[in-house]
Amino acid sequence: MDYFLQQMINGLTLGGVYALVALGYTMVYGIIQLINFAHGEIFAAGGYLGVIFLSFLTANGFMETHPGLGVGLSLVLSMGYCAMLAMAVEKVAYKPLRQSSRLSVLLSALGMSIFLQNGLMLTQGVYDKAYPTEFTHGGFDFGAIRVSYMQIGILAVTALLLVALNTLVFKTRMGKAMRATAQDKVMSALVGISANKVISMTFAIGACLAAAAGIMVGLYYGSVRYDMGFVPGIKAFAAAVLGGIGNITGAMVGGLIIGMVEIMAAAYLPMGGQYKDVFAFVILIAVLYFMPTGIMGENVDDTRV
Amino acid sequence: MKGFSRIIVLTLALCLAMGAAAQAATLKIGSQSPLTGSYAADGNDIANGTRAAIDAIQKEGGIPGFEKIELFAEDDACDPRQAVAAANKLLNEKVVGVVGSYCSSSTIPASEVLDEGKILMLTPASTSEKVTERGLPYMFRVCGRDDDQSVAAMKFMTDELKAKTVFIVDDKTTYSQGLADNVEKLAKEKGIKVIEHDHVNQGDKDFSAVLTKVKDAKPDVFYMSLQNSSSGALMLIQAKRMGIEAAIIGQDAVYHPQLMEIAKDAAEGVYLTFGFIDEETPAYKKFQAAYEKYGKPGAYSAYAYDSAYSLLSGIKAAGSTDPDKIKAAIMKIDADGASKHIKFAANGDSGSNYIIRVVKDGQFKNYWDPQTGKKY
Repeated sequence: MDYFLQQMINGLTLGGVYALVALGYTMVYGIIQLINFAHGEIFAAGGYLGVIFLSFLTANGFMETHPGLGVGLSLVLSMGYCAMLAMAVEKVAYKPLRQSSRLSVLLSALGMSIFLQNGLMLTQGVYDKAYPTEFTHGGFDFGAIRVSYMQIGILAVTALLLVALNTLVFKTRMGKAMRATAQDKVMSALVGISANKVISMTFAIGACLAAAAGIMVGLYYGSVRYDMGFVPGIKAFAAAVLGGIGNITGAMVGGLIIGMVEIMAAAYLPMGGQYKDVFAFVILIAVLYFMPTGIMGENVDDTRV
Repeated sequence: MKGFSRIIVLTLALCLAMGAAAQAATLKIGSQSPLTGSYAADGNDIANGTRAAIDAIQKEGGIPGFEKIELFAEDDACDPRQAVAAANKLLNEKVVGVVGSYCSSSTIPASEVLDEGKILMLTPASTSEKVTERGLPYMFRVCGRDDDQSVAAMKFMTDELKAKTVFIVDDKTTYSQGLADNVEKLAKEKGIKVIEHDHVNQGDKDFSAVLTKVKDAKPDVFYMSLQNSSSGALMLIQAKRMGIEAAIIGQDAVYHPQLMEIAKDAAEGVYLTFGFIDEETPAYKKFQAAYEKYGKPGAYSAYAYDSAYSLLSGIKAAGSTDPDKIKAAIMKIDADGASKHIKFAANGDSGSNYIIRVVKDGQFKNYWDPQTGKKY
């Protein structure tokens, strides 16, 4: 039982990270029907910015006195920077192609992903960058179960951001404009909603979530690397599709499922450790085969962003 | 008109003479290693170790007949196809010898290409038995062999740790799985219970599932067989957080200063099988001085330095770039290197000298000698 609960916690943590990244995919897809493959690199950039800010704060002795505030500050700064980066990416790589075929935009997205990854490699080097992580090693023991501070932190931040996002999308004017644009770009433009502004905002919000995930991952695993965005990017994309692409709650649930399947496969199946990615994708294919719109896909027209 | 053609002829002659002089004055050697990708840290160490050896030889007066030694550092990304391409490129550059590569799976195909072109190859890092067992005449190995490394690890488990149970995890590369399989086989022979032999994927970041298994199984020893110091650091951090109490043993591919930089206190107490290093020998001090401008030495820096140094002193002793003469000169080398005593056997191997090192106070320290069973 302890073993199962411990693995549950592992799965939830991993799933929370995927969910945060998946939200960015799903929101952008909801608005302009584009799979933004450069999203994984925004996540990696967020992780790098986190290490830069945190190292700076640690060097100044700020982290010793205010560790929580330091992490929060780095989180906000990195989210802001990544939001600008994502808006720039949209302006350069997607906006000029808005009237082109889907394939051109897709290729542009792939190109952007490679460009950003190489940019990270050239500016930050091929070596791993270490997070100043001493303060994250601790945790609580509940009997034989160990929950680390970072696992709680990841789940808390994921939940907080999801609530904030839901409020934004369903309770604000901006959210209303986003939902309107997602439903019908032409009609919403006719009633005075600026599509360009809405699209920019969507990219910015998705990037904020990815940057937060990047920092969380950096703190949790202790280091970042220039190619760290690729695999979580693919998994998060799968999670978004699994949940029903275009659907916020779906992306969240999809992320948690993919994380959980991965951990449970490694924990319980023979040879699970080496084939865990296979199991995650087998589930994805099975769900899509029986429910082509994903788990939350039925009401996609109403709630997609 | 006559004067004009004379000038042309003279200019041409001068050009030719200069070209010939330039060619005689430059000695070309190559290195190939993964400068990008997952193994970039080790790959760059290999290129830098080669550069340090060139610097050291130049400082000692260089090689007579050559004004300059030029290094062609190729990236093979630990990919067999790219390794063959890199070897062909070095072949076209007409290098005399090559230091490399890192992954055995790259070294083996590259060495076939280089051997056809009669180019010497000295590997500082490929530990697979097959590297020297194919009988290639120009293949040398400066590091140890996998089959010796697992024996050292097993001796440590039985003689020093008195372990009864072991949990093995590898990342499915030829290197890590080969070592893990050897350890499993030896453990069964010695009567140590192998609780489980599990696998993770190369490039994984999250090891929580398998580490929870380890924690649950409470083994005496956790044998962590990974081909990458950054994966090793991630695994150590997560093991520490999880509260795993087993003794952790890794190997030479996990050995890198970045292990402590990333894992920090989580790396304390981890054991690694690694070639014996005596940091007090003059040869090591010379290496240290030459390497200083390239940063802290990684796992294979000293091996790469010794490989390049052996190659260059072979060329110096032979007084020629003829591969057979250089080979004869290299076979005569019997001297202390930075990484170990260099003396090649007929098959190109230079023997293994694996010991157990431990991370203590953020430093790698010599810990236990499997030959004598003594602590340093």
